[in-house]
Amino acid sequence: MTGQASLRARLVARDERALVELIEAATPWVLGVVLGMLRDQDEAEEVTAEVFATAWDRVGTLGDEYQELMPWLLRVARNRAIDRLRRRSRLRRKAARFQAYEVATSAPVPFREPDESAQPGWHVHRSVHAALATLPEEQRVVIRLAYFSGFTHSEIAQHLGVPMGTVKTRLRLAFDKLRTALAPIRDWVP
Amino acid sequence: MTPHDWYVENRAAWVSRALEPREERLFDDHLPRCEECRQEVARLERELGWLPMAAVPAAPRPGLTRELADSVLRRRSWWRRHASGLAAAAAVALAAALGYGEHRRRAEVESLLAERERRLLAVEDTLSVMRRAARVVQREIAMGEHRGGLLIFRDEISHRWNVVMHGLPAAPPGTVYQFWFVTETGMVRSVELRCEDDKPAFATLEMPATPAPVMGAALTVEPALNRSGEPKGPELVHVDF
Repeated sequence: MTGQASLRARLVARDERALVELIEAATPWVLGVVLGMLRDQDEAEEVTAEVFATAWDRVGTLGDEYQELMPWLLRVARNRAIDRLRRRSRLRRKAARFQAYEVATSAPVPFREPDESAQPGWHVHRSVHAALATLPEEQRVVIRLAYFSGFTHSEIAQHLGVPMGTVKTRLRLAFDKLRTALAPIRDWVP
Repeated sequence: MTPHDWYVENRAAWVSRALEPREERLFDDHLPRCEECRQEVARLERELGWLPMAAVPAAPRPGLTRELADSVLRRRSWWRRHASGLAAAAAVALAAALGYGEHRRRAEVESLLAERERRLLAVEDTLSVMRRAARVVQREIAMGEHRGGLLIFRDEISHRWNVVMHGLPAAPPGTVYQFWFVTETGMVRSVELRCEDDKPAFATLEMPATPAPVMGAALTVEPALNRSGEPKGPELVHVDF
């Protein structure tokens, strides 16, 4: 945590080497989040560039509520990716993404073991997966669709064939469990 | 159920961006007016902050991280380079909107300020390359009774060079001081450097768009009419890195 705070302090001080370090440490995760949602390498790289530009511009104005840099960065990444998704032509793109989602979820959970333990932050990845694994399957599916694929309530309800209220309830219950399970996770030093 | 219950019920959905766009705008409008919701969604965001790390990390392709750093830093430079143009355009638009005659003086002042701003930003940009320079090369140049030199500041982050030529007289009539990049496959023409009134000449240079890597630099006194890709005049400096 000290290392990241130091990195943040250096970013605030406009240390361009710190920006390079942040990019090297965070790119696999930012790109992973964005690529998982957009499923387009070029667009994902564009969004990743926007994320780091935002980080560089705004790191000095972050309030005390953002003690940890990585969660904030990943939230920016996710929001940017969702903004992109919503700018796309919805029906055509989403039909393709639903198909891709079917393919992705018909395979085992995308949890790559080999060679990944060397990736900085990998232990956090494992902890988050462990937390997700404790959820009932129907809640996990809603989390995946809403949080990792950027679908709205009504789209999820339509896709799963359940009432929208059910989707909202599952999402809320899942979040209640996750916020407890994720609480012990602390920042990792890039 | 009160109207506020809807916001309470949908806080998690707002954080996950699962609301419909219209609902999301409604929630966005509500937040600045509701301290309780603001605190609650901030808490949710904080507590769920690590959730995105469930995504599988994607190995960046070779060179991507360098391109990303470059794009962030150059984007700033782009704004700086174009700040004067944008300011001038804004001034012109303002003058047109308010009436040219009455506000001509204002436009002149805006233009003057924009010009000053342009010069200031150019100096800042130049200094930023010098400040970040990981390597500095200096070569002395003797031309008759003049003793001058060439300084090259190499910024390894933005991949730009800042070149300073100083202490030299104006180029002889019909000639120019020509700066060249030396690459594996030959010389690549860069900028002309002009010394006037014994003032130094400055240039901030992007790397040439050639597949061959830059191996060094050269300065020649070139016939002004030589527009070819090969130097024909005497070489004052040749640096191999």
